[in-house]
Amino acid sequence: MRVPEIGEIRRRKQRLRIPIVILLAALIITAVVTCAVLGEGIAPDSPFRQRLEVGDTPPSPVHIAGTDLLGRDVLSRVIYGAKTALVGPIFVAVGAFTIATLLGLLSGYLGGFVDSAIMRCVDFMLALPGPLVAIVVVGVVGGGYWTAVLVLGVLFTAPDTRIVRSAVLEQRPLPYIEAARTLGISKTRILFLHILPNVGPIILAYVALDFAFALVNLAGLSFLGLGVEPGTPDWGRMLFENRNILFSNPVALLLPAGMIILTAVSMNLIGDWLFERFAK
Amino acid sequence: MNRTVARAGEHSSLLEVEKLAISHGAVPITTPLDIIVKRGETVAIVGESGSGKSLTARAIAGILPPGINATGTITLDGIPLMRLSERELRKIRGFRVSMLMQDPFTMLNPLMQCGDHIDEMLRDRPAFASRAARAKEVKRRLAEVGIVEEDVAGRMPFQLSGGMCQRIALAAALARDPELLIADEPSTALDVTTQAEIIKLLRRVQRERHMSLILITHNLRLAFATCQRIYVLYAGSILEVGDAAAVERQPLHPYTLGLLLSEPPVDVRVHRLVAIPGFVPRAADVVDSCGFANRCDWAKEICRTGKPPLMARDTTRLTACIRQDEIQSELDSLRMATLSATEITPRPAVATEALVRIDALVKTFVGRQGRPICAVKSVSLHVMPGESVGLVGESGSGKTTIGRCLVGLERPTAGDIRINGIAAADFDAMAKADRARVRQTIQMIFQDTYSTLNPKHSVGQALGEALGASAGASSPATPERIAGLLAEVGLSAAYSTRRPVSLSGGERQRVAIARALAVKPAILVCDEPVAALDVSVQAQVLKLFKRLQAERGLSYLFITHDLAVVRQITERIYVLYLGEIVEEGPTERIIGNPQHPYTRRLVESIPRSTIRNEP
Repeated sequence: MRVPEIGEIRRRKQRLRIPIVILLAALIITAVVTCAVLGEGIAPDSPFRQRLEVGDTPPSPVHIAGTDLLGRDVLSRVIYGAKTALVGPIFVAVGAFTIATLLGLLSGYLGGFVDSAIMRCVDFMLALPGPLVAIVVVGVVGGGYWTAVLVLGVLFTAPDTRIVRSAVLEQRPLPYIEAARTLGISKTRILFLHILPNVGPIILAYVALDFAFALVNLAGLSFLGLGVEPGTPDWGRMLFENRNILFSNPVALLLPAGMIILTAVSMNLIGDWLFERFAK
Repeated sequence: MNRTVARAGEHSSLLEVEKLAISHGAVPITTPLDIIVKRGETVAIVGESGSGKSLTARAIAGILPPGINATGTITLDGIPLMRLSERELRKIRGFRVSMLMQDPFTMLNPLMQCGDHIDEMLRDRPAFASRAARAKEVKRRLAEVGIVEEDVAGRMPFQLSGGMCQRIALAAALARDPELLIADEPSTALDVTTQAEIIKLLRRVQRERHMSLILITHNLRLAFATCQRIYVLYAGSILEVGDAAAVERQPLHPYTLGLLLSEPPVDVRVHRLVAIPGFVPRAADVVDSCGFANRCDWAKEICRTGKPPLMARDTTRLTACIRQDEIQSELDSLRMATLSATEITPRPAVATEALVRIDALVKTFVGRQGRPICAVKSVSLHVMPGESVGLVGESGSGKTTIGRCLVGLERPTAGDIRINGIAAADFDAMAKADRARVRQTIQMIFQDTYSTLNPKHSVGQALGEALGASAGASSPATPERIAGLLAEVGLSAAYSTRRPVSLSGGERQRVAIARALAVKPAILVCDEPVAALDVSVQAQVLKLFKRLQAERGLSYLFITHDLAVVRQITERIYVLYLGEIVEEGPTERIIGNPQHPYTRRLVESIPRSTIRNEP
């Protein structure tokens, strides 16, 4: 027999409360998004203006985060850098999950040959060392940032497909799906109107986690010189450019590094929380 | 308020629970409860889900889940349990108070051999210091619970059946020879025939050891058959206390009477099933009124002004109904009227073509390592138009597989299915029009009321979609048609905006029935449709099935393990055992005079299968 009362009361209480950590994480993400959207509006200086005569200086009232080797304002570059830090990972996460959702739904619901075919492809892709493939492809094909985004997007599809598929397999034997089948409702309708909304929270949670992974990976590629064009304000690229001025202006290195970590951790926390809260 | 009982049995009472109030934070789960268990006495705590019976049992054993608090006093043989530290409590648990849980599979450690569960309990005693002495004792203990096979002690829990696991769990619970055993729904998760064996075993062990037993159950019949005294718990309050026989003969509280009447008897087909309207409220919502007032036919203003105390009616009986004096004669006459109602003879089936006919159906599943598992072995059955047929069997008998084959959720390995004259063994191979016609003829109702509706869709959306699926969806699913469907299952149109999470189990099952009715089917395959529902709600849904049959001329194929349910609603039954039909015939004859040994065992396994008619 069902004994729901404890769980139900507990759940009702949780509904009212968003943990403070999650609020903080959301605040950080909002700040980064604001920087990405309003870059020019809020940056104190142009991120491209060089002052070779000044060179790298530590933080001062004029340049709050100091300047880099070419005399560019670090704070402005970090604010501008939010754009590439957000756009790429968003494309990777959303793109990967759009494809993965489709493949996962088909694979989980149809089963049989379709399932085997999709899953073997996924197995093959999982066997590839992701970042290494990205380095090779970008190095050989060129195209920088957007090639990297594309490669990461394709590579992320594989684990995501597995996640969606297992969520679909969980829903498939439930009576509400079987009732829809006995009513003669079409497969497309069952897939997109019945199963998809119920696996939606899990997908949403993993999109957030994917975003964080993509952010770190893209920053890594930029650091290696395989991402954005030289000169573009980008957090990963700044780590590379400013690694030599660690002692004259540590902020030039630590600020973008800190932003990468903060954004990634915030997204991870939000993703984890979404998963705990909605997908379980 | 409990003084009279307390004083009468003072010298021999083993457990005294006084003013035990359980709460979750500020939310009360039970009001202060008084429970007394004498030495060697069997006491039942009867209640539906949400009544707080399991938490009461856990409070006594001192194993409340985190976040749940209890206040009051629990005295075991003079020892105040609530004041003991965890360390001291450990010397009580197992040695003096032991617990037996509902699910035998999760109660045993899956990585421990069965014998080790008992061995572990014996280890502390000096008499069993040596391994050989313990091994010998384990064997003796297993024999006590009826396990004589040599190798069981060395097997893992997953290799054994549920009944066997429950026996081992019982042996482990008894290993330290407790004076009090608390059994929380010990038989609910088991098959009917195994249920009866476990209860018999529990009774025997209790008598032999002269141990006290608290049986927690939702099944009033089981409580009457097993225990000497009954506590009826409802929404966190005790509504009635008394000797089992006396309570059964003359319930003093309207709820007990309602519960008694809504449990369908197995030996009589009652003229009209009595159902208690509504559903069990939360304890927190009824803190200052009689918990049952909103569902009670006799409720007056006085019932809603303050919680009625449990008052003694005579030396052994207490009731929480403040109007008991005034309404007792009405309660008695209602009881008599319902039980003595004349039997209605089922309509003879008109000899036309069968609506559903299954011929030599075989279904084999591929098991582990490609071994075939034969779920259904050559089953033939038929259902006539307007007829209600039961398919009775225990888990593993293949009854659900047959139902799923009928609605096209499984493809039979061999055999023929004809629905309304259309060959429907393989849904994929059928013409589109035929498939649509079959789907408008046969629909299914599922057991699990919690996932039978899509949690993301409102009731209106679910019904609208079902209406759209019917009859080629020529006419749109208007709000009027949705309201009409809801009205048919006894729900108001306001339900169409609600989501499944906000509905009770009974309401969900009604919506599921409405969804099936949307395509105007001729037959419903009902797979344990009331098994997951509370007793008082079960009767409501069964009544709905009966009404729909009368109004729409619906046929039913009732797949169930519950003979009492089948008795009330079907005209003919098939008894299924290990994938084969072992007996078939009119319900009356099969239950009244079972021929096959398995059917006989099934009928005998029902506790207190007859209702007592004397006033």
